[in-house]
Amino acid sequence: MKTARPWHIVAFLAPAVIIYSMFSALPLLDTLRLGFYTSNDAGVHSFVGLDNYRTILFDSDWSTAFWNAMWNNVKFFCIHMLLQNPIGLLLATLFSLKGLRGARTYRTLIFLPTLLSVVIIGFIWQLIISPLWGVGEKLMTLVGLGDYFAPFLGQESTALFTLSLISVWQYIGIPMMLIYAALLAVPEEVLEAAHAEGAGAMRIFWQIKLPLIWPTLGLVTILTFVANFNAFDLIYSVKGALAGPNYSSDLLGTFFYRTFFGYQAQVGSPTMGAAVATLMFLVILAGVGTYFYLVQRKLTRYEL
Amino acid sequence: MTSVSSTIASATPEDRDQVRTARGPSLIQRSFGPAGHIWVHIVLCLYAVIALFPIALILINSVKSRQAIFDNPMALPTVDSFSLIGFHKVLSNTNFLLYFGNSLVVTIGSLVLIVLFGAMAGWALSEYKFRGNRLMTLFMAIGIMIPIRLGTVSILQLVVALDLINTRTALILVYTAQGLPLAVMILSEFIRQIPTELKDAARCDGVGEFKIFFQIILPLIRPAIATVAVFTMIPAWNDLWFPLILAPGDQTKTVTLGVQQFIGQYATDWNSVLAALSMAVIPILILYTLFSRQLIRGLTSGAVK
Amino acid sequence: MANVSIKDLKKSYDGKQNVLAGLNLDIRDGEFCVLVGPSGCGKSTLLRMLCGLEDISGGELAIGGDVVNHLPPAKRGIAMVFQSYALYPHMNVYKNMAFGLKIAGSNKADIDERIRHAAGILKIDHLLDRLPRELSGGQRQRVAIGRAIVRKPRLFLFDEPLSNLDAALRVQTRLEIAKLHKQLAATIVYVTHDQVEAMTLGDKIVVMHDGHIQQAGTPLELYQHPQNLFVAGFIGSPKMNFLPGLVTAVAEDGLEVAVTGGRKVRVDVEPGNAKVGDKVTLGLRAEHIHENTGGSEQFSGQVNLVEHLGEANFIYVTLSGGQDIVVRGDGNRNVDIGEEIVLSANSNAFHVFDADGNALRRLKPGNLVSSRHH
Repeated sequence: MKTARPWHIVAFLAPAVIIYSMFSALPLLDTLRLGFYTSNDAGVHSFVGLDNYRTILFDSDWSTAFWNAMWNNVKFFCIHMLLQNPIGLLLATLFSLKGLRGARTYRTLIFLPTLLSVVIIGFIWQLIISPLWGVGEKLMTLVGLGDYFAPFLGQESTALFTLSLISVWQYIGIPMMLIYAALLAVPEEVLEAAHAEGAGAMRIFWQIKLPLIWPTLGLVTILTFVANFNAFDLIYSVKGALAGPNYSSDLLGTFFYRTFFGYQAQVGSPTMGAAVATLMFLVILAGVGTYFYLVQRKLTRYEL
Repeated sequence: MTSVSSTIASATPEDRDQVRTARGPSLIQRSFGPAGHIWVHIVLCLYAVIALFPIALILINSVKSRQAIFDNPMALPTVDSFSLIGFHKVLSNTNFLLYFGNSLVVTIGSLVLIVLFGAMAGWALSEYKFRGNRLMTLFMAIGIMIPIRLGTVSILQLVVALDLINTRTALILVYTAQGLPLAVMILSEFIRQIPTELKDAARCDGVGEFKIFFQIILPLIRPAIATVAVFTMIPAWNDLWFPLILAPGDQTKTVTLGVQQFIGQYATDWNSVLAALSMAVIPILILYTLFSRQLIRGLTSGAVK
Repeated sequence: MANVSIKDLKKSYDGKQNVLAGLNLDIRDGEFCVLVGPSGCGKSTLLRMLCGLEDISGGELAIGGDVVNHLPPAKRGIAMVFQSYALYPHMNVYKNMAFGLKIAGSNKADIDERIRHAAGILKIDHLLDRLPRELSGGQRQRVAIGRAIVRKPRLFLFDEPLSNLDAALRVQTRLEIAKLHKQLAATIVYVTHDQVEAMTLGDKIVVMHDGHIQQAGTPLELYQHPQNLFVAGFIGSPKMNFLPGLVTAVAEDGLEVAVTGGRKVRVDVEPGNAKVGDKVTLGLRAEHIHENTGGSEQFSGQVNLVEHLGEANFIYVTLSGGQDIVVRGDGNRNVDIGEEIVLSANSNAFHVFDADGNALRRLKPGNLVSSRHH
């Protein structure tokens, strides 16, 4: 590295730092600040300390909706973890098998949904499982589950779960590719050595490959966490800002939107919205913090 | 110059994978046995169908008449059932091509800024020793994990104050801010690998820092641009949130927002709905067929970080 | 330990036919056999076929009398040391060495005993708790060897184990591997591209080129009686000097060859089918050329370049006939560039290769007086 004249450094850094600060970092800090204020009808801000947070967390007018959204978000995340990681791991492992014919074709085809907007995906699936069209029903009958067909998106008990499945279906390409890249990084000779020592495919997977890609699985988890607790687009386009039926598909993202922007009868409030955003920030921060703590301490990236 | 860039770009995970497949039969498959080999293909085929079927279904039905859509959803369009009525409706009721253009402008505009400013910042952070280098790197890195949407309240206030509401510029600036952290990280990693001899030789010749950057460094980071493009263009193109909040006006709508609102409005008109979805999907399909190799290579090489 | 018998072994890939074309080789029990040759000659492929990592396309491979063509590696009684050591990065040294034994179902006590014994031989006892990334290159290599030893195989396979070490460590480790061979009385097949390693380590050296075995024999055999141009040029450093010439006279105990553009020399080889007028190539090693008239055949030339090594010089000379040769000279003697120099060699120092590159049998090749003793 070299020490250059200071103004060089400033010139190189300035554009990126300015845009990033103005449109990302400072707005976030400002939002955190705004959460401590309230605004009256005239738009005048006044400092109210933790009042907003007390309202959201404890005042039943707000807190039911908030905790509902929070709990839904947790469920949303858990479903992703339970489905996306194992399936993504399975696919990535299959892709990385040496000598698999057509591996590249499979990869290209299977990755396609991830490229599309979750909005588009949401609509497509909404059509497919719509009782009006009947395609979903026909398919379920094909595999013998015809009796279980119902208007999944319209039922309170199944709406969130269905939306989670749709989201997993769309998002799975990213973990799949990240895990695939990590599997490729395992040196071929290490696998050959294990094979030469008599290890079968299963043992090689569980005792050699899996431990070596553990850091990537951790990364995938935290990326999913952040994405899930930030999710909005899918719910909004399929269910609207009210995230029905009866708020059963409400996530923190939609709750934030309603609070901040207003929707139908509810008037939008920037300060309350800022408070919600701050709470979301704290949740995400907690997750990210835990991740980095674990990465520092336990998940060692083995030198390959 | 070309040999340097090829050395830098070589040995991506995809390349290594291609070498592996060329070398002979799979030792893992030998332990699976011939039956295991078939199961692998069965599972992958099955999932490929699951992945593609919904999209294919939409495309097929978008060119069928309303009757045919409901009578026989899974059948291919025949001469009788072929109908482009949905597409007509979409194109006449909305400014679809304009939306498409807006998406292009916003996505490519932000990509250009991200690559240029990201490379400049990545260069400064990886090349020069200065107080606060570490701090600045950390500052930029935080943006990777913390979603930009959380600051929307303030971003909206800022955009209004700058009189940029309902402009594509606002979207470009926001997506640039969103994509810069990851881009700076990827590009600075990449720049670090450029042999110091190149830079030292140029400095020995008395070439100024800016010239070194623009004429030597920038051309060499082309391989990394694929990675940056993948991670920034896809989220920008597919985003609903910021177009909805910052630029919902008809002149500045993006494809994603346009489709979402159109479908919300014409929900019962299946032809139009299917047509709108298809029109949103087809350009991506075309680009993907053309660029899938670069895209996946960009994704996998960037993932090894 | 066991012997290895390779009969008509063939290897083809989808893309390439006959990467190895019908190899025949026998390795005795306890022999240290080195496969040597340039990149792409097929030595690593052959090793991997011995191991079981590559399929055998044709022919028969037997270890200790058992045909192993279709057996997986673990059932062949072999152990392989990989070029990059291939240690399991997430396991410590002990676990690395125990991995294969656990799979084979050995009990804990047996495993522990074997590991400690091998660690003692290789002097890595103090490293058993460490992870591979905490070890130096030389240490990692020993762990890789240890991993092979504990399996008590009938055949050890080494894939260019020294190529990742720096020069000093390479020499030291070479000695240790030689000692290990004696200690374990092991049958070893060892792949390298370095002919010095091959010559110093091997009981039997197999020179390979383009998927064929060029020659198999003891180091001395390959040095004194290379069977073709390739082996002659490959073994020995610096590379043998080659001089084109024509046969001018044939006798029972030798030939007379006119070096192109130079004089005639007498060479002590069995004439075989050689006739007057045949094109041949003469081979002469740098260390068998003297800088004076002590030998029976003489040349003259001009010095181009001198490389000083201390105890010797490498003198690059252009002969009067135009050929460039290199001569190993006395380090004490000062030679100037541009100097006219007279060289000589004994008639029994020459090698003769016919037009196809095959060697004519040398007579009286042993006990050559090399230039250094002048």
